[in-house]
Amino acid sequence: MEDESILSVKDLCKAFGGVQANSYVNYEMISGELSAIIGPNGAGKSTFFNLLTGYHLVDSGKVYFKGRDITNWAPHRITRLGISRAFQVSNIYPRLTTYENVRQAILAQQRRTLNLFVPANQLARQDTFELLEVAGLSQHADMLAGNLSQGDKKRLELAIALGSRPELLFLDEPTAGMSGEETHDTMELVARLNQEMGLTILFTEHDMSVVFGYARRLTVLHLGSVIAEGTPEDVRTNDEVQRVYLGEEA
Amino acid sequence: MDVSLLIAQFMSGLSRGMMLFLIASGLSLIFGVMNILNFAHATLWLVGAYCCYTFWYVLQESALGLWVSIGLAAIALAVIGWIIEVILIRRVYDRDLPEQLLLTYAMVLIVGDLIKLTWGVEDRIIVRPNLVSGPIFLFDIPLDSYFIVVILVGISVAIGLWLFLQKTRYGHIVRAAVFSREMVSALGIPIPRIYTGVFVLGIFIAGLAGAVQAPVGSITLGMDMAIIIQAFCVVVIGGFGSLLGTLVGSIIVGEVYAFSILFWPQGALVLIFIVTAVILIVRPWGLFGTPMRV
Amino acid sequence: MKRMWWLALVFIVVLILPLITGEFWVHVLVEILILGLFAASFNMIFGYMGQLSFGHAAYYGVGAYATGLLMVKGSVPLPICLLASMIVAGLCALILGYFCVRLTGIYFAILTLAFGQLIYYIIFQWYSFTGGDDGLQGIIPPDVLLSANAYYYFTLIIVVAALIAIWRISESPFGYTMRAIRENTERTRFIGINIRRYMLINFVIAGIFAGLAGALWGPFNRSIAPDLCTWHQSGIPVFMTVIGGPFNFFGPMVGSVIYTFLMAFVTGFTEYWPLTIGLIITCVVLFMPGGVLGLCEKKIRVFRSRAPQLDPIETTEGKSSGYGG
Repeated sequence: MEDESILSVKDLCKAFGGVQANSYVNYEMISGELSAIIGPNGAGKSTFFNLLTGYHLVDSGKVYFKGRDITNWAPHRITRLGISRAFQVSNIYPRLTTYENVRQAILAQQRRTLNLFVPANQLARQDTFELLEVAGLSQHADMLAGNLSQGDKKRLELAIALGSRPELLFLDEPTAGMSGEETHDTMELVARLNQEMGLTILFTEHDMSVVFGYARRLTVLHLGSVIAEGTPEDVRTNDEVQRVYLGEEA
Repeated sequence: MDVSLLIAQFMSGLSRGMMLFLIASGLSLIFGVMNILNFAHATLWLVGAYCCYTFWYVLQESALGLWVSIGLAAIALAVIGWIIEVILIRRVYDRDLPEQLLLTYAMVLIVGDLIKLTWGVEDRIIVRPNLVSGPIFLFDIPLDSYFIVVILVGISVAIGLWLFLQKTRYGHIVRAAVFSREMVSALGIPIPRIYTGVFVLGIFIAGLAGAVQAPVGSITLGMDMAIIIQAFCVVVIGGFGSLLGTLVGSIIVGEVYAFSILFWPQGALVLIFIVTAVILIVRPWGLFGTPMRV
Repeated sequence: MKRMWWLALVFIVVLILPLITGEFWVHVLVEILILGLFAASFNMIFGYMGQLSFGHAAYYGVGAYATGLLMVKGSVPLPICLLASMIVAGLCALILGYFCVRLTGIYFAILTLAFGQLIYYIIFQWYSFTGGDDGLQGIIPPDVLLSANAYYYFTLIIVVAALIAIWRISESPFGYTMRAIRENTERTRFIGINIRRYMLINFVIAGIFAGLAGALWGPFNRSIAPDLCTWHQSGIPVFMTVIGGPFNFFGPMVGSVIYTFLMAFVTGFTEYWPLTIGLIITCVVLFMPGGVLGLCEKKIRVFRSRAPQLDPIETTEGKSSGYGG
């Protein structure tokens, strides 16, 4: 089971106007991985996620999930198959409570959203409280999500993504806008999800200490193309990466 | 089917289309720039028609009475448009769409009743001057000579708007505002002034259109209701914010109406709605619009 | 629990009211109930799904005509007529809604408006079947419902039953999915919800209840006319909901009470009702967004934790573009 391919991307291309946002990207993921994609702003990381999850239509190339061709599927079908994502800008239901936010994802996962007759507050209580506990949001359960702090909103975003019970999880800058401590807590949670629940996770991140601290494999995107791939150590010493990426940081 | 009848019907459709263009161009401009759909546009158009009647009534002895009245009515509506913008519209720039729609819809009711209070319920008729009262003959086919006036005004406004948008600095700013209001305000241009200007321009054209419409037949309460929906159809077909689209959409709607009157009189409006619905479903941004604001 | 007491009180008042008022006001009460149901069905699309339908009268009108035609031409019993109206209106909503839910925002509003007018013109022009401009006369309810009070209680039972159904739906997982779609369509898609299908189902349910409301109108008014489908009729539930408050379940009903009473009162001494309601709507939009109940909630904070609330939260998205410089 360990080395089973969960995600396979072949020659993925996407252009916006004249700009090639993703150009012949090839990418493989093995079940159980915790990996990161890095690259300067505009490298095409978000576009990559958007193509994999059906948010944008692919120009050319293929996406396979567990051997199944899911290229250009509608987002809700991809989600139901077991791929979930958290967005870069926290994408929650501001005028529902934290509890209702998470419950919504769980109800959708349990295929109960077409139920017209049973009050929603009688359903999925256990699952919702468990997930809130996991995400460390229990004490804010009755708060309107729009009133949460920035860090809690990101965590809620993560909890909603987990509510879909994915096998493969994409996290777009999961710690953006968090304090040092929050960042640490969140990444520890991500690592736990990966190790204890066996979730395959791919994330992007700006903070290099986070990337090198948690990801076991790194892929570097630059101007829409993969320029390097390997263990954090490989990537750190790669000449081209030094030039286009770390050079820019310095 | 007689060719001369077809041509006569074509000209009638063209004149109808041009009238729709005059209304829809302002509607489309206001929506394109301000993102506000003005339900009251045709009601103000009707105010233009009534104003024209009043001016004509005062001036009817003079030779140029009607033409002066049309100009005065257009100016009067520009002033009314300015007042409405400053008092009402400006307050809802940053509101949600339903609230903006409701406000302009409430204006339909208010202005409609104000018309009734001012001009009463009986129909008003303007006696046309001799120049445009009889038929004129195009290849021996008799046509209503006033159609020519409507078509000429429509074409002039189309050209005038095009020149304004393409050749003047203010026009460039307005076109930029259609694409991004952030950009325009980043350039240091006060957005409310552009909005007010655009709204006044739109209502001015509507007033002009109403005044031009006044001598076509009788001026009746409730005329605005039928026309506003058709103007929406025009704008949807052509694409919001596109001048060319509005022109093409107007002619399509005008001609569809004119010819279905000939072949299937009950179905004229039904046909227009079906065309509109099809366009909305396959191409919500219209024939000439750009897919941005959905 | 506090809310339960309120409801019980309101219910008792509603039960004894026709016994102490004259027939004119009983007619007004029936109108309140019917239009309140119409507005509540509209609010399933507006308040819960977040889309503005400007053609909701189409389903109301279709429901009215289904019952009217069956009663006048077929002498079908009223209960069967009501059922038939719901089915016919639901089918109409299914066919037209299939296209409407592909669009959102302004385009949704315009397409619903266009379809509404389409239905209006079909009913208006189809003289041989619908009676066209003349409408349908002689829609007489069965003998037991002939008196104003009897028809009032009959309407009350049906409207209350329908409102309970709508309430249950709004509190069900489906109802919360509608709120989710309103709050964040994109997020909802990414938790695995087929947006269009859910919007269509909601659209059809709203159409069914609008059809039921319309069906009650004919036997009450003894006649119907194509006006029931115009966009002015579509404007009525919009007004009521905005006056009452779209984010509260009772908003449309409260709006119906205010609107209908006001209309009965104002039209008593002036013909300028549109002017009056226009000014009221303008004031509500400018100074009281959230409607009467929205204002009450803000002031009193009674129904705090339940229904979706309008408390102005800083939403990160939306129209925040700076103007004025």
